[in-house]
Order: sequence, then C-alpha cells, then structure tokens
Amino acid sequence: MRRLTKSVLGAATTLVLLAAAGCGSDSSGDGSTADGTDGLRKVSVGIIPVVDVAPLYLGVEKGFFAERNIELSLEAGQGGAAIIPGVVSGQFQFGSSNVTSLMLARHEGLPVKIVVSGNASTGQDPDISAVVVKGDSDIKSAKDLEGKTVAVNTLNNLGDTTVRQSIRKDGGDPDEVEFVELGFPDMPAAVANGQIDAAWVVEPFVAISKSQGDRVVAWNLVDTAPDLMLSGYFTSEKLLQEDPELVEDFVAAVTESQEYAMEHPEEARAIVKTYTEIADDVLAALTLPVWTPAVNRESTQTLADLAMQDGLVDQPVDVAALLH
Amino acid sequence: MRNTFVLRWGQGLIGLAALIAVLELLPRTSLVSARYLPPFSTMMTALRRQLGEASFWSALLNTAQAWAIGLTIAMILGIVLGLVIGSFPLLRELTFSTIEFLRPIPSVALIPLVVLMFGTRMQGTLVLVVYASLWQVLIQVLYGVQDVDPVVRETARSYRFGRMAQVRHVVWPTALPFVMTGFRLAATVALVLTITAELVIGSPGIGKQIAVAQSSGAVATMYSLVIVTGALGVLVNLLARALERRVLAWHPSHRSEVIA
Amino acid sequence: MTAEKLARTATLGAALPALLLALWWVATADSTDPYVPPLSLIFSTFPETWTAERLQHDVIPSLARLLSGFVLAVVIGVAAGVAVGSFHGLRHTLEPVLEFLRAIPSPVLIPVVILFAGIDDTMKILVIVYGCVWPVLLNTVEGVRAIDSVLTDTSRCYGINRSARLRHLILPGASPHIFAGMRQALSLSIILMVIGEMFAASNGLGFSIVQFQRSFAIPEMWTGIIVLGLVGIALSLLLGLIERRALAWYFGLRRSQRRE
Repeated sequence: MRRLTKSVLGAATTLVLLAAAGCGSDSSGDGSTADGTDGLRKVSVGIIPVVDVAPLYLGVEKGFFAERNIELSLEAGQGGAAIIPGVVSGQFQFGSSNVTSLMLARHEGLPVKIVVSGNASTGQDPDISAVVVKGDSDIKSAKDLEGKTVAVNTLNNLGDTTVRQSIRKDGGDPDEVEFVELGFPDMPAAVANGQIDAAWVVEPFVAISKSQGDRVVAWNLVDTAPDLMLSGYFTSEKLLQEDPELVEDFVAAVTESQEYAMEHPEEARAIVKTYTEIADDVLAALTLPVWTPAVNRESTQTLADLAMQDGLVDQPVDVAALLH
Repeated sequence: MRNTFVLRWGQGLIGLAALIAVLELLPRTSLVSARYLPPFSTMMTALRRQLGEASFWSALLNTAQAWAIGLTIAMILGIVLGLVIGSFPLLRELTFSTIEFLRPIPSVALIPLVVLMFGTRMQGTLVLVVYASLWQVLIQVLYGVQDVDPVVRETARSYRFGRMAQVRHVVWPTALPFVMTGFRLAATVALVLTITAELVIGSPGIGKQIAVAQSSGAVATMYSLVIVTGALGVLVNLLARALERRVLAWHPSHRSEVIA
Repeated sequence: MTAEKLARTATLGAALPALLLALWWVATADSTDPYVPPLSLIFSTFPETWTAERLQHDVIPSLARLLSGFVLAVVIGVAAGVAVGSFHGLRHTLEPVLEFLRAIPSPVLIPVVILFAGIDDTMKILVIVYGCVWPVLLNTVEGVRAIDSVLTDTSRCYGINRSARLRHLILPGASPHIFAGMRQALSLSIILMVIGEMFAASNGLGFSIVQFQRSFAIPEMWTGIIVLGLVGIALSLLLGLIERRALAWYFGLRRSQRRE
C-alpha cells in the first residue's frame, strides 16, 4: 500500500514538475495592455490569420507601428465569436471582424465601433469572394441556384445575405435556395463530391476552387454594393473614450500600412507566407483584396438593409452608431 | 517475460502498420481524391518540413504544457471530490443532480465566456481542459467508491479503523482500478480538449497550427499535424499504461499478465 | 422505490441546484456585463426562446441523432470490448491504433467524415459514435479483464460453451464497468451532438446555441446551455432506471452483503 501511494504521488509530482518546467518559457503570451513607462504602448489586436490582415504584418515589419510608439502583437483568434468578446472585455484593444457580425453585435447592445476599414471587394472580376459550382454543373448563373443547396461558412451572416442579393439581381427567388453551413476549407471537396451544389468561398479558396476546375457563377460582393467593405478594425467605446490618442495613432499606422500594401502587392503577398501555410502556387494565383482605409458608409448601409430584409435583425441597425 | 514484451510491442506495431497502409492506399482508390485526403507519404513529407520549423516545436511545447497542467488539476480535483462525495451517501444524493446537469454542457459552449475572461491566453484552454476531464475522473472515482465490498468495509469498521484509515486501506485500493481507467480516459480527453480549444479559441499550440493550415487550404500540412495529434495520443496512452501497470500490479485485471 | 424514498431523493436532488440558482440570481442581479446577464433576464427569455415550434424543429432532431449515435456506440463498444478484452493478442494489436484515433479531436475529424459520409445526419451520428465508443469500449475491456480468472477457468472446466459463458459470465460480470462507461458516453454524446451540429447543420439544439452565440443573443445562448443541462439530467435519470434494472443483482448483492 505504501509503495502504491508512493508511485501515484511520484507520478503526480512528475506531471506537476513537467508542467511547471514548461511554464517558464511562456512569458510572451500575455496580451494585456499597459502604457509603458518609456512611452511604448503595448497593443494587441485579435485577428484571423488570413490574407485580409497582411497589411498589419507588413506594417509591423516596416515599423509603421513602432514609429508611433505602438508595440503591436497580433493574436490569432478564430472568428468573431472569439474576437468580439475579447475586445469588449479589453483583452484585445482592437479586433478585426466582418461588418455583418459587428452589426449583429451592435444590434445586441455590445459597445463596439469600427475605426478603420479592414478589407474591401475589388468591385470587379476577379474578386476575393465568389459563388462557385462544379465545372460541369448545369448552374449557369445565380438564378439557377433556385432549388439548389448552397454552402456558406456561417448562416445568417454576410455570406448568405450577399448571395441572396446576387440571386435577386439575376431575377431569381432567394427563398427557393437551401443554405447549409460548412467551413470554407471543406467546401472545395464538398463541391467536387456533389454533396452541395454551390459554395460561397473567399480567398484563398476561390483560387483553390478554380484550380480544381470549378466555375464562378456569381461575384456576390460585386452584386451587392460598389467596393463593398467586408471587414473592419474595431474597438470598444471604452477605449475610444479613455485613450482617443491611441485609437488615432492605431488608425494612422493601419492607414499607412494599407497604403504601403496597395503600392507593394508583391510584398503583401510575400508576407502572407510568413503567417499562413498557403501553398506557393495558390498564393500566386489568389486575388488580393482592396485595402482602402476609408470606411465605406454606403456599402455598410446596404449590408444593414439586407440584414433587416433577410431577418438577421428585427429592427433597423444604426449604422452611424457602429462607425466611428 | 521478455518475450511477451517484445511480442506485445510487435503486435502493436503491426496494428499501426495496417493503419498506415490503409491511409496510403485509400487516396489511390476512387473512394476519395488525394486532393482532399493525401496519401500517408505526402503527409509525411509535409511533416518533415514542419519538424524543421521552430514554430512547430514551440507549438508542441505549448500543447504539452496545457495538457499536463490541465490534467493534473483535473486529477487532483476529481479524486478529492470523488472520495469525499462518494464516502457520504447524503452528499452523493445532494450533488447528483448538479453533477448530471453540469457534465453534458459542452466545453465548446463555454468558449465565449472563457475568451471573455482570458482572451486567447493559455488559461482559457486550461479552463476548458479541466472542465472536460474533471468529470471523467470524478465519475470513475464515484463508481469505484461504490464498488467497495461492504463486508470488507464492515470488517475494517469492526477493527475500529478510523475514517482516514478506511479510505486509505479499503476505499482507495478498491477504487484504484476505476481511478486508473478514469486517468486514462481523462488523459486523452484532456489532450483532445487542449487541441480543440487551441483550434477554436486560437491560443498557441498544435491546434492553432491546424487551424492556420485549414484556413490556408494546406491539406497535407493539416493532416501531418493531425498525425502528430494522434501520435501524442499513443504516447499519452503508453505513459498511462505504464503507470497503471505499476500501480495495479496486484489487481486481478493485471495479475494474469504478470504471471504469463 | 417507495413514494417516501422518491420524495427524499427529489428533495435532496433539488436542494443544491436551488442553492446554486439562488447564488447565481443574487450575484448577477444588477449585472451590466452583456456576457453575464441577470438570471432573471435569462428566465424571462426562456419561454419565448424555447417554443413548441423550436422544440419540434431543433430539439427533437437533435435527440434522434443523439440516441441513434449513443445506442450504436454502446453496441459497438461492448462487442469490440468483449472481443478485445478476451483475446490479449487482439488487444495489443489494436491498442495503439485505437489510441491514435481516439486522440484526434472530432472538430478535426469532421472534415474527413464529410469526405466519406456527406453532410447529412449520417455524418452527425458517426461523429457521436466515434466519440462515445471509447469509454464504453475501454470500460468493457477493463470489466472483462477484471472477471475473476478462477470463475472463467471453472466454467471452462465444466465445459460451458463460449456463447453461454458470454451470456452468463462475461457480460454480467463486466456490466458494472459497462454501465460506468455508458454513463461517460452519455454526456460525451451530448457534447458531440453539439460539435457535430456546429458543422454543416441547419437545425438542432447545438446549431441554435452556436447561432445565438454568433448573433450575440447572449441571454438566449444561456437558455440554450440550460436546455443542454436539462437534457443531460433527463437522459441520465433514464439511464439510471435502466441501470437499476439491469444491475439489480449487483446492487442486491451489495445490499445483502451489507445486511449480513
């Protein structure tokens, strides 16, 4: 019995020691805010590590943030469900999220405000977002989606509202379409296997989908609004009140980064390699978004109207309250 | 003894070899395209590239840490709570409904709360890991305590064993096989939850690397990381088994093997 | 169970939850945190959220998936567990493979399942089976191994054939372990139902909760979590009833031993 207790205790101690030994190396994970005594401000931004946020990585590398005394740390979260609460609670000072999700958050009374644009549609063919079908599908245009199954990454969000708009524009009835939820990464295979008839994909999956012979039947963002703003960098009302200077500097740094990225698309493409696993041929083929810092009020209003029309919200969204 | 040991390892390796063969051959059939499920060899090429990157090793370390800390907390909490609750029928009846209520609430549903409190830091992952694996241990301990032979318990009582002594000499040895099963279940659940939390929240670790590979459409890299996850699972089980063998060498479920 | 005893169990079962709810009520009474709404708000949201229509549209399909997955998992787990527990060779061959597969988190596995099974209910049921099989299987293996080897040898000496041995010795002998495994699997099945419905779903309890979470309908999300817990309790009570019937001999044995 004593031996037994000893070996159990021994095992437990080993585990604890192992854990403790590991702990020491983890000092960089803390994303808390602090006004450094030397004037260097630590700022963490909740992002999804995809092509959209390339300017931020580029801006860090080029020193656009450092020269404004901002030490930027980019914290990868998965989707608005993780990033928006993080910003509201102050774990992140800023976050990146799609405009419709932010509207829904605002609609439910969460104090978030978009301070600068994230990325926007190219407004033409090719765009960063498309509805694709199998190469030999009999679906020729958005109207033909009637009676078919279309996958979107999140139901009742930006994807299905803009795809519905494409169908309406093409003279079809969006209520006749069955939308299902599927992750972007799983869509190309599901289209190829015929498990879904069409999929709404964004880069890099537009490029991947095209490379397997799929055909684009609609550019849903182009159909919805000119130069539609897809995502925005947002912060909490609390930070806007307490440290407007920080917000201003962050916006200035992001602006400079986005302008630099637009002028140097090859550098933007190259930096994507450092934080994603996108294959070289896909990276070369994919369409980059438009990075214009100015917030697009018109397209945001259009998305708000669609959200109301499609029943995502039960009363009109106050777009002015969402935009800083 | 030595021969059976070699034999056992040999058999295990045969099983793994069969799995590898299936993974290598399946994408070459018409059942599934290699584009979406690459053959094993392609996954290995991607894995070799991963092994050369520092980010992979720091992710592995992060995952191992979160797993070990989370599991340790869950084990200690589970055993203590289990022994206490299990020893008093009244406590058992009092807590039954609460435990059954809390247990099936998916850790995944708690993610927004966890993010709110901890952001994407490791503590968030830990909360989920402890929450999910605690129940595995606790339920096993409760069943184990219930399994105590009443005759033995009465005997101990009539020999005027104190409560602590009863727990040490009667309850604990009976519950131990159940505890060890709980440990083995919890060890894997903790691993699964560590990876899942990293995947969904985005806290650093193998799970986050998987998410990055997924959102990049890097299928082979994604699967190579999944293989790493599976291999971690085998390793965890080997450790748990070794511990179990040491701790339970006297129990009928192991005695026969020791003699053989 | 007599009415008096039932009343006692019910009272005791309700006492702790009542206390916890009271604490929750007081602690959040004037909460302004959008993620932790006052309990009173959650309660008032409940009836308008979980209408008869939603129960029919979301809860019933979920329960159907859950039960089919759970039953399949138990059948497979017990069958495989008896086989693996009875033949040492098989156990050693399969163990690393099983551990490998078990460690792969279901969110990672779902894309693979989709490749083969599509995005319908089959996929969601397979995900539940995949996750729930392990506790049943592992516990069955433990149960079969823990059967006193004297009993096995004796029954063999008396020329009792394999199927009779299975029915009268192995299954009953392992059943306390099997039920422990089923209990673990039950709460896992609820968790996996939610995870499965987070992918490629357009209805279900899990889908609703995720939907509430994503549209930041926080009080509604909390009611969903509460519904999950209630489903957990209901199913657990049901399993308890079945267990009490199936293991009547076991509890009877324990009781009679206690009385002597």
